[in-house]
Amino acid sequence: MELLTYTFVQYAFIGGVAMAVLTGMLGPFVVQSRQSIASDMFAHVALAGIGGALLVGVGPWWGALPALIFVSTLIWWLLNSGRYSPDALAMFFLSGGLALALAFVHVAQDTVFSFENYLFGSILTLTFIDLVAILVSTSLVVVVVWYFWYPLLGATQSPRYLIPFRRTPQVVQLLFFWLLAIVVWVGIKTIGGLLIGALLVIPVLTARSWASSFKQLVVLSTLVSVFSVSLGLITALYVDLPPSSLIIGMAIGLFILQAVASSARRNKRV
Amino acid sequence: MNNSVIKVNNVTKAVAGRRLLDDVSFEVAEQSLVSLIGPNGAGKSTLVKIILGLDTQFEGSIVIGSKERVQYIPQLSMTDEHQLPMSVYEYIAIATNRLYSKNKQNVDFKQALIHVGVSAEKLYQSYTSLSGGERQRVAIARALLGNPTILVLDEPLAAVDYASRSGLYELIRHLQQDHKMTVLLVSHDIDSVLPLSDQVLCLNTSLHTDCHPSQFVTEGGAGSRTIHHHC
Repeated sequence: MELLTYTFVQYAFIGGVAMAVLTGMLGPFVVQSRQSIASDMFAHVALAGIGGALLVGVGPWWGALPALIFVSTLIWWLLNSGRYSPDALAMFFLSGGLALALAFVHVAQDTVFSFENYLFGSILTLTFIDLVAILVSTSLVVVVVWYFWYPLLGATQSPRYLIPFRRTPQVVQLLFFWLLAIVVWVGIKTIGGLLIGALLVIPVLTARSWASSFKQLVVLSTLVSVFSVSLGLITALYVDLPPSSLIIGMAIGLFILQAVASSARRNKRV
Repeated sequence: MNNSVIKVNNVTKAVAGRRLLDDVSFEVAEQSLVSLIGPNGAGKSTLVKIILGLDTQFEGSIVIGSKERVQYIPQLSMTDEHQLPMSVYEYIAIATNRLYSKNKQNVDFKQALIHVGVSAEKLYQSYTSLSGGERQRVAIARALLGNPTILVLDEPLAAVDYASRSGLYELIRHLQQDHKMTVLLVSHDIDSVLPLSDQVLCLNTSLHTDCHPSQFVTEGGAGSRTIHHHC
């Protein structure tokens, strides 16, 4: 427990719980809208932003945010044009973002920079400024989701709720993309771009059979997410494994546990 | 004939060289129940989306009065295994704004459910646990909360079992008269819509004609009816 007195451990827990709240809260909207792969696409786009920031000499993580907001808006516009299928667009931006990131990093020739920190996260290296940015982002996302709860629920339904003569669902969908962009931005700093998708999806799959309303689902998936992150971080203090892998491992473990419990519950009913 | 509230003028839509709609024109009278019927692929859903302003890529024009309040009930699906949990309350609240208090919303939602023949106790139950008929009634309740002057329903019987069908159509007719609404109903179930409609439009890419139900003659057994137009 002495380890918990270290500042970097405290920062990791605070940042980790904030990220868990973000993924637990937005995850059900992501799964409901069939946009699970979008987080992966956004993460790769963020890598291009990180590469661009290296080129111009800005902090890499900060470069990812404008890239994410710009590309999420572009993707929203392309999807609404109806000319491209979502999976084709996802692959286009996923591969394109990675290719661009590789090119930028190569040109920047920064010998200290490591992609690994952003692909698999570096939650134990959070600074005070990082933490402030994460907490501000979390507060912003929670307030926006709270305020636009029902419009977001309607816009992410499949098929989404259609309102005659109004563009509201499309505009709310853009808001949803921006929220997802912010979650991915926090995610690449904490758990990693390649793993953030797991925290958006697995807690929802774990909680879905125990909820009867969307609100219950969000609360339960947030609890599962916070529990997975906390347990994963505590384990990382004692086991020599990357925190990100332990966090996702805990989430998968909880999913398997609930699958067994759900199956037992169904058998009992029969 | 009463005043027309929907005017469809020479609407044509083609995708990749194939004509989905070909020079379709008709008018829908105020406070009438109009059924749009036709086989699969006839362009019914395409025409509805154009009328609702959800599809703007077409030739021709649609005229709907600026004071009209339009509500739309899309075709329901009962086969979506990936639908996440959602309560009936949440399903209805998607379509309402948050400008009034939750207590008043609860009362309004419960009254709307009772109005369409669904128990108020179902408000906090899971939407996915409802039968097809109940889901359709809840969808109607949600639409009525928007106080529409025009209600558009796309295949309202698609996910409804046979026993519940006549009751649902009677409800739609009753609500249409009670709320003095104009109803545009899309269906391929000719037998059910004929007795209830003020006007039936037969669409198969182009509009065959604008016929009154009494001008239809049906023949053949159930499921193999043939329509003859005498207009």
